[in-house]
Amino acid sequence: MFVLEKIAQYAKDENRKAVIYHDKVMTYAELEQFSNAFADFLLKNGKDKSPVVIYGHKEEEFLPCMYGALKAGRAYVPVDITFPADRLEMVLSDVSPEFFVTLRDTDVAVCEGTKRLNVNEIDEIFKSYKGGAIDSANWVKPEDNCYILFTSGSTGRPKGVPINRANIENLASQLIPWCDIEASTDIITNQISFSFDVSVVSVYMGVSLGKTLYTIDKTMMETPASLYEGLENSNLSFWVSTPSFAELCAMSEHFNEKMLPNLKRFLFCGETLTHKLVDLLHERFPNADIVNTYGPTEATVLVTASLITREMAEDQKPIPIGEPLPEVEFRIVDSEGKPVKEGETGELQIISDNVGHGYYGRPDLTQKAFFETESRGVKKRGYRTGDACYQCGKLYYFCGRMDFQIKLNGYRIELEDIENNMVKVENVSRAVVIPVMKEEKVDYLAAFVLSTKEIDGPKLREITRIKSELAKLVPNYMVPRRIVLCSSLPTNTNGKVDRKELAKQL
Amino acid sequence: MEEKILEILADKCGVEAEDLKEDMDIDLFEEGLLDSFAMLGLLVDFEEQLGIKIEITEIDRKDINTPNKVVDCLVKRG
Repeated sequence: MFVLEKIAQYAKDENRKAVIYHDKVMTYAELEQFSNAFADFLLKNGKDKSPVVIYGHKEEEFLPCMYGALKAGRAYVPVDITFPADRLEMVLSDVSPEFFVTLRDTDVAVCEGTKRLNVNEIDEIFKSYKGGAIDSANWVKPEDNCYILFTSGSTGRPKGVPINRANIENLASQLIPWCDIEASTDIITNQISFSFDVSVVSVYMGVSLGKTLYTIDKTMMETPASLYEGLENSNLSFWVSTPSFAELCAMSEHFNEKMLPNLKRFLFCGETLTHKLVDLLHERFPNADIVNTYGPTEATVLVTASLITREMAEDQKPIPIGEPLPEVEFRIVDSEGKPVKEGETGELQIISDNVGHGYYGRPDLTQKAFFETESRGVKKRGYRTGDACYQCGKLYYFCGRMDFQIKLNGYRIELEDIENNMVKVENVSRAVVIPVMKEEKVDYLAAFVLSTKEIDGPKLREITRIKSELAKLVPNYMVPRRIVLCSSLPTNTNGKVDRKELAKQL
Repeated sequence: MEEKILEILADKCGVEAEDLKEDMDIDLFEEGLLDSFAMLGLLVDFEEQLGIKIEITEIDRKDINTPNKVVDCLVKRG
């Protein structure tokens, strides 16, 4: 059953809580009412079916606007406030939305024909609506996109990944069993930014199961005391996040079973899950289990899930990315596209109806990464992940990227995206970005920068200038922590910059 | 002591300790030298390398947003 039907069903129970945001509670009845209100507004005032761009962070209006767009037969494009104005403008120009919801202020320029709706106008739409449910004939159809997420692109321009209702329903049928756990109170984390697809687990699976979404936003993350106070009061039973967020929480020794006595399960997605974190959580939360998952945005959030056993935790091998979901086929191929023998490393291909239809308005990129093939006698879509993996029994293991894409604190970043934007900064003629590893994952990024200006004396202000200029072009998490100003870069025998040599200098 | 604190801080900010010394009142968060993840990593480094434990629930960004404040905070607890 689609998430919109489930919301209407839970709304009948007047007191059922849908979202907790700071000290405010939104019930399922309100979520239903507000999303109907926004859908009604879109249906009455809209001329086309263009996606609705929603700019904000975790505001209480965000979810009703997302579901409202779906009820009006439109996709939504969530853009988190980590996107600087320059990037937001690129998204707006790619999507050309009829409606642009700004839950936070931004002075970004909009295209002709785009109507802005600020938070007060949205609240007014929610408040003034007196109508009933929106006829499901208006809702997004299985072949219609539900959302488009913009992710880092190697050229320096983000690329949009659209996911349709059929993709999501397909994922839901396979993932809901992993989220449907018995708990006296069923409260799930709502921490991951909506512009990052791990949030889909809470927004679609959590809500489909009638759970309460407990919001953890940026302001809480910035003041650890309020983060822990929030966790203490949350009564969480189901944890979904990137491993990085759990690592951050685990830096306090109070992050344990006493703080979250009802916690039954951790579900991780988005980046490498380390042995260190697994051991720590097993020790601090003896009554909660850990599920690791894996998947690229292009194949709808995640395509594997596995319970991490004590045996896996004790194994020398990395923590597995898991076993493919029932309707997912994995192929590991060599550089010529031929299947490798079990245990050998190659590129992972995903074959499934979970795979999306390509990149928004970019047939060139789509053709490179997506393909059609037969699986178990049926025509399916496939996606070349660029991830190097190997298989051992039923389980799959990740061993790195085949290109310059990395994951930092759960964020997917193309290093060339940063490099191509860094050279737009004044006095920077060349930039090479190197990931610095710690244990099993990327700890931070370092950039070697060729400067066209001689710097006498302390370099600190020049470094902070480059950082702040770059932060106007890319999200903050893409600004390298370390900047090394240099007058030349080492090259290898092919005349290319020698990245290995640079990594040694760190 | 101050020397060692600045070295650890500079390392986390990805800059030279010598450069930090020239600018002891620079706002580490405003200038993009520290973020939430780096700040927490910094507390771990202080504990591991100096044996000074700061419980992250008892600290706020504004308490350690400049090199001077970081040094003060550590010296008080050291």
